[in-house]
This record gives sequence, C-alpha cells and structure tokens, in this order.
Amino acid sequence: MILPGFEYRKAASVAEAIAFYNDFQGKARYLAGGTDLMPLLKYRLSTPAAVVDLKGIQELGAISADHGWLTIGANVTLFDLKNDPVVKEYFPVLCQSLEATSCETLQMRGTIGGNLLQDTRCIEYNKTMEWRTARGFCLKMGGETCNVVPHSRICLSNYCSDNALSLIALSAEVSLAGPEGDKTTGLEKIFSGCGSRVFALGPGEILTRIRIPMEKSRGVYEKLRVRNSIDYPLAAVAVAMRQNGARVCVGGVGPAPRVYDLTGTDAGSVRDGAQKAYTDARAVPNSTLSPTYRRKMVRALFRRAVNKILSEGK
Amino acid sequence: MKDTMNIVGKRVVRSDSLAKVTGRARYTADLKMPNMLVAKVLRSPHPHAKILGIDLSGALKTPGVKAAVSGFDGFGIKWGVFRYTQDHAMLPTDKVRYIGEDVAAVAAVDEETALEALSRIRVDYDPLPAVFDPLEAMREGAPIIHEQYKNNINIHVHIDVGEMDRAMESAFLVREDTFKAAGEAYAMMEPYAVVASYENGFLDLWMPNAGPHVRAKALSNLLKIPLNRVRVRHINSGGAFGGRSEVAPGDLVASLLSIKAERPVKLVLSREENATSSRQVHDIIATIKTGMSKDGAIVAKDFRVVYDGGAYSSTGPIATSIPFYVYEECYRFSNVRYNGYRVITNKGIRGMYGCHGRAFLAGNEAQMDMMAKELGMDPVEIRLKNGLTSGEMTATKSRITSCGLKETIEVTAAKTDFQKRWPKTPKLEGIGMGCIAIMCGFPMGFRSGSSCYLKINDDGYVTLVTGVVDNGQGNESMVIQAASEILGVPMEDINLVNADTEITNLDPGAYSQAAAFVSTNAVKIACEKARKQIVAIAAEKLGVAETDIALKNRLVYSVEKPEKKMPISWVAREAFARADPIAATGTFFPNIDLEREWLSRPWGQMAGTFSYATSVAEVAIDPETGKITIPRFTAAHDCGRAINPMAVEGQIEGSVQQAGVAAITEGNLWDGCHLLNPDLLDYKVPLACDMPEIEAIIVESDDPVGPFGAKEGGIAIRMNAYSAVGCAVTHATGVLFKELPLTPDKVFEMLEKGTEVEG
Amino acid sequence: METVKVTFQVNNEKTVLAVKPNETLLETLRERLDLTGAKESCGIGSCGACTVEVNGLPLRSCIVLTSEMEGADITTIEGLCGEGKLHPLQETFMEQGAVQCGFCTSGMIMTAKNLLDRNDEPTRKDIVNTISSNVCRCTGYKKIVAAVEKAGKYGR
Repeated sequence: MILPGFEYRKAASVAEAIAFYNDFQGKARYLAGGTDLMPLLKYRLSTPAAVVDLKGIQELGAISADHGWLTIGANVTLFDLKNDPVVKEYFPVLCQSLEATSCETLQMRGTIGGNLLQDTRCIEYNKTMEWRTARGFCLKMGGETCNVVPHSRICLSNYCSDNALSLIALSAEVSLAGPEGDKTTGLEKIFSGCGSRVFALGPGEILTRIRIPMEKSRGVYEKLRVRNSIDYPLAAVAVAMRQNGARVCVGGVGPAPRVYDLTGTDAGSVRDGAQKAYTDARAVPNSTLSPTYRRKMVRALFRRAVNKILSEGK
Repeated sequence: MKDTMNIVGKRVVRSDSLAKVTGRARYTADLKMPNMLVAKVLRSPHPHAKILGIDLSGALKTPGVKAAVSGFDGFGIKWGVFRYTQDHAMLPTDKVRYIGEDVAAVAAVDEETALEALSRIRVDYDPLPAVFDPLEAMREGAPIIHEQYKNNINIHVHIDVGEMDRAMESAFLVREDTFKAAGEAYAMMEPYAVVASYENGFLDLWMPNAGPHVRAKALSNLLKIPLNRVRVRHINSGGAFGGRSEVAPGDLVASLLSIKAERPVKLVLSREENATSSRQVHDIIATIKTGMSKDGAIVAKDFRVVYDGGAYSSTGPIATSIPFYVYEECYRFSNVRYNGYRVITNKGIRGMYGCHGRAFLAGNEAQMDMMAKELGMDPVEIRLKNGLTSGEMTATKSRITSCGLKETIEVTAAKTDFQKRWPKTPKLEGIGMGCIAIMCGFPMGFRSGSSCYLKINDDGYVTLVTGVVDNGQGNESMVIQAASEILGVPMEDINLVNADTEITNLDPGAYSQAAAFVSTNAVKIACEKARKQIVAIAAEKLGVAETDIALKNRLVYSVEKPEKKMPISWVAREAFARADPIAATGTFFPNIDLEREWLSRPWGQMAGTFSYATSVAEVAIDPETGKITIPRFTAAHDCGRAINPMAVEGQIEGSVQQAGVAAITEGNLWDGCHLLNPDLLDYKVPLACDMPEIEAIIVESDDPVGPFGAKEGGIAIRMNAYSAVGCAVTHATGVLFKELPLTPDKVFEMLEKGTEVEG
Repeated sequence: METVKVTFQVNNEKTVLAVKPNETLLETLRERLDLTGAKESCGIGSCGACTVEVNGLPLRSCIVLTSEMEGADITTIEGLCGEGKLHPLQETFMEQGAVQCGFCTSGMIMTAKNLLDRNDEPTRKDIVNTISSNVCRCTGYKKIVAAVEKAGKYGR
C-alpha cells in the first residue's frame, strides 16, 4: 500500500516546525513516531501537503525532574518512559499503561506526545479509501451521518490512548506551542468531546511537554482487549491514588477520557463511582465487541481497579 | 521397521528453512523481471449491481499505462470446480455480486500510475436489491443472485443412511441444539500476489498456490490455451490453509494484462483486498439433533447445516460436505440424515479452510458432553464408547484401515488427569475434549493420485521431480527426507524440482491432506525402483547377494562384509555405461471409490486412509469480564508415522493457535455487506502472549499403506481444537455454548444467563 | 514532490539515494535495494513482518519514511549473517523448527535480535513479551520461543 504524495520537512526546533507548518498554509501534519499517523495516511484518512518531522527536535527528547514536576519531552518513546526509574517509582499507573500500550516494538517507536494526540478510532472509519467509498462517508470523513448509529449527528469514535488515562489520573499537564504562542493546560482539557475533531487545539499547535506533579502515588491500570498485545483498549480505567485522594480516568469508549474524583474509599463510594462511569459511558457498535458489554465493562474495570488499589493499601 | 530407519522419524532441519531464515526465499511479490509492469484491480463498490458498461478508455490514455482489461476482454467462460458449479467468470460482464469483486484492471509502469488509471475507468452500474443473510436469502422472494440457483441454494448435500426417524423416536435420550459460528479469515501472512509473463504463446505464472496443476487447468480453460503452454511455476507460499486452492480472479487479470501488454505483470493484493476479495471462510448455522441409547451409544443423528457461501460456488459441494464426513469418520452411527445447504449471498466468496466447520463440529462435541452428563458418563467414556476403530465402516461406507483414535483419547486424558478433574473443577474453570478424524485426500477422480520421477546424476546426487506443493507445512522437506531414507544419500544431496506444471506430473495438491499419504507414497515408490536398480548393479559388482546390500552415507555396501562397498556415484556411472541410467517413475493412486460423487452418490470409499486426533483444552474465565484464558492445551495426533516429528509438532502447535485459541478470538465481523475487520488489527490472529502451554503428542498407528506408515499429519487438530475449547467453556459455565468465537462479550452473556439459572 | 536525498548505512554499506518523500523504508529496501527479506503483510504496522533494525532498534519499515532515515544504520535479515556465518537466531530457528511458511520469519528474527542484544538472559516471559509484537499464522509460536531461548544461551 503506497502513501499519498506529500513533501517531507525535518524540523530542528519547535519554532522551525511551526514555520514549516505555516509554509504549507496549515496543510501539514506533524510526524513523531508515525505509528498512528502513517496508517492514517496510507488509508487516505489524512492527505496533507507536507509531513513535518519533529524527531530532530532535541529539546523534546528529555525527561527531567525539578521544581516539583516530572517533565517529559513529547519525543520520549513509550519504551524509554516505561523504563525510567522515576516513572517506575512514582507513577506505577503510568508504567502499567505504557506496558499495556500496543507491543514492545511499537513502544520503541511511538512517542508519548504522539500517543496522546492519536486520532480516535472506529471500526467503520479506519479503512481504505475503497472500503469507505463503498460504505459511504461518515461524519468524521465529512459525510452527512454516522455509519454506526444511523441518523446520528455526533461522532462517538473511541479515543484509544492508554497513557492519556493514567496521565490524567495523575493530574498531568501539557505544554503546547503554536503560531499563537505557548500555553500549559490540564491534559483532560485538550479534548473537544467530539470524535470528528478530537482535540481542542489551535491550528499548528505542537504538544511539546507533559508534566506530572512529583508526588508518589499508587496506581492501577485495567485494560480490556481481546489479545494481550498490539490491541487498542476496548475499555480501560486508570486510577492513581495520592495523599489527597484517588482520581479515576475512563477511556477507550467515546471520543474523550472521563475523569472521576473518588469522594471516598468505602464500598458505597466505589460502587457509586463505577455506576456513574457506567451511566456516562456512551458505547456504540464501533468496535469489535458489543457496546452493551463494553459499557458494562467500564463499570467492572472501574470497580476492579479501585478495589485493587484499596486492597494494596491494606 | 522403525529402528532400522536412518532418517525417517528423525527431527531433521527442514530443507526450506535456510533460505527462509536468511531472507533469501523468494515469494511472488519479491519477483522482479525486466520490463515488468504493476497491475491494480478496480473493485465493485456495490454488493449487487448490473453492469451496464465498462469504459477503459480514460485509463488507457493515462501516460504510463500499458494495458487495461475487463471481463469483455475474456472469452466469457465461467469457471467452476464441478460441471454443475460453473458460475464464476472471474471478471464479470453481467453483474457484480459482492463489494470488492474484480471488475477491471490496469497494468502500468508503477503503482501510482496504475492507481491514477483506475480512477479514470468508468463503470456504469444499476444497483440491485441485495441479500446478506443466508436464512433470508433462502426465503421466497429474496433477491436472486444467480438465475440457476433457486432460493439462492447453491448446493444441497443430502445424505440419508439407515432409518433415522425411527431410530430417533426410539432413542432413550434426544437433544436438539443450534450452533453458530462466524466465518474466519485465512489471514495468511502473505497477501495474494501473482506474476504473469506471456511470451511467444507461452504463459508463465507464479503465485502462492496449493495445487499448481488444477490452477493451470482452470487458466487453460479460461484463456483457451493448451495446458502445456500455461505454466504454473514453483514459488514459496506464505501460508494457504485452504485459501489458495483455487484459481483466483487475479490470475486471470494478470494473464490478460500480460497478453495485452506483452510484458510481465505483477499484481500484489493489499491486506484488505486479500480479506475481501480472495477467499473467506463460511459462516455456519448448524442444527444438531442427536438420539442416544441409555448406554450412551449414538443411535441417530439429524443435521441441518446452513453455510453462508458468499457470491460464488467455489468448492461448494466439498465445503458443504466435509464437516459431516470428518465427523462420521470419527464416530459410529448407523442412522443419519444430513441436510447441508450452501447459500449464495452478496458477500465475498467462501472456500475450504483447514479449520472448516467449527459450529458443526464443536457443536456436536459439546452437545455430546451434555447428553453424556445426563446419562452419568464423562466426556472420555462417551468418546471411547462411540469412537470408530480400525476395520469398521463409516456411515457412508468408507472402511477405516488404521485408527489411533482410542490411543489419542487415552493419552490426552491421562496427561491431563481428565477424568479425575472433570467432576470437580473449581468455579469458572473447565476442561474439554474434542475428537476428529480426517480423510487423507479428497476423491478428485483422475487427479487423486501423484507421480514422481527421479534420476541419479553421474556424481551420485539426486534430482527428484514431483508435483507436490508446499505452503509452509513442510511437504518439500518431507519428500526429500523420504527419498533420503530409501536412497541412502543425505537430504542435501537431493534437489527437488516440484510444483511446476510443465515439468511435474499431476498431484492432488496441498489442500486435501494428501501430501504425506499420496504424494510421498509416489516418491517412495520411485525411490524404491531406483534403489532396486542400484542394488542390482552393486550386488553384481561387489559379488554379494542383492539381499545383502544396504545404502547409507552415499555408499552401497554389503551388510555382512561392510568392507565390500562402493559409492553410489560409481553405480550411477556404471548404469549410464550400460545405457540404463538410474531413473525411475513412481505413481501412487489411493484406493478410493471413483464412482463416489459429492451430491449424486455420497457413499463409497472416500479416501485411502484417515488420520485421528484428540485435543484437550483447559480454560479459566474471568468472572468480571468474561475473558477466557487457556493456560494449557494437550493435543494428540495419530498421523500413522511421523516422518519428521518436529514438523508434525509444528502443525499441531499451529493448529492449537489457528483453531483452538482462535475459538475465543477470531471471526469476520460484518455490517451487512461490509467486512468490518479486513486487517490484522481488528481481525484477531492470536499472539504469542495469548498461547497456552502446549503439549503435542504424536501417536503412531502405522498405516498399512501409508509411506513408512504415514498419514496426514497437519490438520486433524485444526478440526477439533475449537471443540475442546467449546466443551471446556461449556464445562466451566454450565451453559452450553452456542456461538463462536467465544469473545468476552459472548462469554459474559453466558455467565449472566448462568446466574439467572442459579437463581 | 521534491525528492529527498538520504545517506545511510544498509548492512554495513554506505548508501546514498534520492527518494520520493512519501516512500516507505520497506519500499526502498525491496524495490530499490533488492532486499526482499522484509515483507509487506499488513501494511499498517500491526503485524511486524517488515521489521528491520535501525540504529539498534526494531522498526516496522512499512510505516516509516525513508526520508526519516538520514544517517541511520540499518540492518536487514540479509545483513544478519556476517562472513558466511549465520546469526545464532538463524541457527536456532532452523534447528528448533520455528519456520513454516517463512513469511513472518525475517521480521520475527529481527524483533528477537533486539531482545538478545539488550538482555543477556531473557526469561521465557521476556521472550513471549517481545515476540508478541509480531504475528505468525503457522507455528503457534512455541518453537519460536524455544529458538529465541536457545539462541540466548548460545550468545552466552
């Protein structure tokens, strides 16, 4: 399967990357590990005029701990991050989600920035142009209606990053650089909530760094998948527990992760939290397992993850 | 005989493996030729539509395009494996019948140009009502996909033996259940590819295939070129599993393009095209009614099985029959009715599969466990009670000449402590057993036999020429190993020339489990003839009796006086000088009933022999998610005699993956006519981390006719591994499984049902 | 499209090419350099049949651009055996019967090689974890695991 035509640019700095982006009037895609982008290009789900390679930006390749934060450059690979001693010691939930991401080879190629900014997925979307032409274009392809839920006007494709969930549970923030300047925001705030335009980012913005408060935590990541490697989550729950309480993040179902701050650690609070997550989950038949089931699994994994943490603490 | 053999029975390194581990083994897509063009196929975006016209002119005007074809460039011949299934034009001119069907094609200097040209082909369609569900397709008033198939019933296999109704009525215990299974993807790692080169009236072709001779025959018919001018040549194949048995539309496409362009043409399918437009596996709905006597004997079987065949016949009559036959070759029952319907729908074409029939076979086995339980028997007892033994006849009159079924049941039961564990496994853990037999070769008329020619060169090295084909299972190495044993030369001294239709003779191919029993037998016979020639000359030269001669390590020697010896090369030279070179032809034709026919006469000897196997799966179910893990799998295979035990184990282990673990992961998903998982991401081929600990056990029943006692050694576990899993899950949940694959969502539903039952 | 000039090492040979910006490494290896050991199977990075080694790491060459390879040190299956001597993994894959159709084999070996390069004594669990990056349709993986295990021991 050949790629569509595009120009290639390699940036040495964030500023240069943004300049390239502007050179192509915004018709450029940023490339890091490419494990998410390349299949999208091959399927003609994205046909940019240029691909701007960010891997040459040295400053985005470091992990550093200072001023009460662990700061992770967006170019750090999932594999390196997984093996970082601070991550291992402070953020077990992140370690687990990294370990559960795809497979070892792709962890070595995929970057944390790319993993967070991966596109949402749908079983009727991630297909070749020929397949999609026969099926008819859906909302996410610029069509009139959803192919999964007839007549629906909202796209409920699934956001499948494992690590966004654990990072949100850890209250991580992300730094963005763009033509309009730099900013830092909570990771959970970069989502639009709509599957056809996943991120609320400005044009040309680059996710440069992720930072996590340097406070030790306990954590559990629970992921449902059919195969124990390579597969994206069909539903997933991350929990991080610190002095001031537990934060739960649910993903793999719908276009954005959902955050729940656990009010208490008694059985009732856990049950209520899980039930709330179940009620909120909008599962539709856009994945390999039945939606009713995936929704129930949000509840089951929520309970399981939180109870695991609680029993560890005892 | 076992102890006296030098190499047969040994764990030898396969002859093809060096090229494969060094990356030098060539597959079709690796081929490069001077002036070679790239082909691309335009496919139907409609499930069912009339073709009003195809205009190739835009494509032909694209710079760099050297040829464009549609069905209007062919002879309008429809191919079918049987006279009564000739319905497939490969490139249709009347209508398209599934999304992804080949409609037109171009050959260009590169892929970009070819894709550009495809976009300039204009096809005028008139969409027709379509039908995707086989039960709907059978109903009156459903859209008719082929005029000749009333109610879209492509094939009806009707078998009626004994007095089924009476026996069912008088049975002590009767049970009826319906089982469903999604069709699988073959998911061979190599997407389909074909290279065609037409020059001076001769057409050369390379493609992964499981039978070069039937492939050449089909193309000879479709292109009206004599067989000796259509040459299907040898190439490595990246897996077949039944899906490379028949001529493919791409073969015709590449041939027509090469004929037009007068240049070699290469067509390589994408992963998605391989899934939508090569072959798929039948979805099956099997209703199984069984009558048992009080002592657990099967007294009556009544089957109604519906196979979703997709748009064309393919190997329809065979596919509609095989699940039943492998079952009747395993168990004893004298009253049976089988109604198998293969139904045409507007979906991709379905073919035979190494694991074909899982709804039917796993359904039979799990239902048998439920009935046995009611009768106070366990799965081992009920299988031993009903299993066939050597010397018996199957319901449709095939005699069993060697049968290690009992041994495979006993050894797997003993290894897993099955009978002790069965009554008291912990909650949500289960153990299950599946048995099966399989024919070593389908009846294929005059194509059922194989021939081998060999010569010994004047340096003592051997050239072996046979039609045998290898799709990765090790057939090439197997015949070399057999020849090495008989001729007393190391395997590396033997050059195999195979699967090349212009050089090799007819062979049944590698899709009917015939390579060990039939093809290797032909090789053995040829080698024995050559050996006889060698022995005669050597005995004379060495001055010893012919009965005293042995062949080993490239030497011919006297067993009694080992100092009397000579190199085989000397014998070869002497033979040349006597104008009688050492060269021989061996042919083997199995003892089958040539009158047997899949529809009109479904009885008589099916195959020369049958192999047997038993699988035991152990499962554990996560109560909160329904996700199954299979920690352990024990499989025993009666392959007559393992020529290379390592290769047989590899087949068993691969079968555990492709049929056993696949039973919890694999199935094609559909949204009407749209295949939802035509990739290797959403189609779940099990990974290393999903695999159980496997114990592969070889049982040797020493077949009286098989070469060195060998029978099929590859597929029997593929036909029962899912049964073991289905039975184990039924055991673990207490609820009869009804649908495969047993993905977590379906198991969770079973658990919810089970809870309801409990109260 | 402007062509991109790329200089890299392939199997210890310096290679200078002008490639199309949208050309994948797999296409370059197979079409331009006649190194057909790496295979295209899924085309979207989900099976591993196209795995080659780049700068010491296994890489799925069907989803990387050759344009990204400036200065890279690339080893393919063809470059694995030096001076006529097979790599231990090639030996053990043969000897343990870990090869059937062979289409996944080169990717599988290149993936396993990385594990052995960074881990002197991989456990069975490590091996399973690593090779779970790659799809094999034939073997059930048991003999592949055994081959990697044995090659690890050879290495020591």
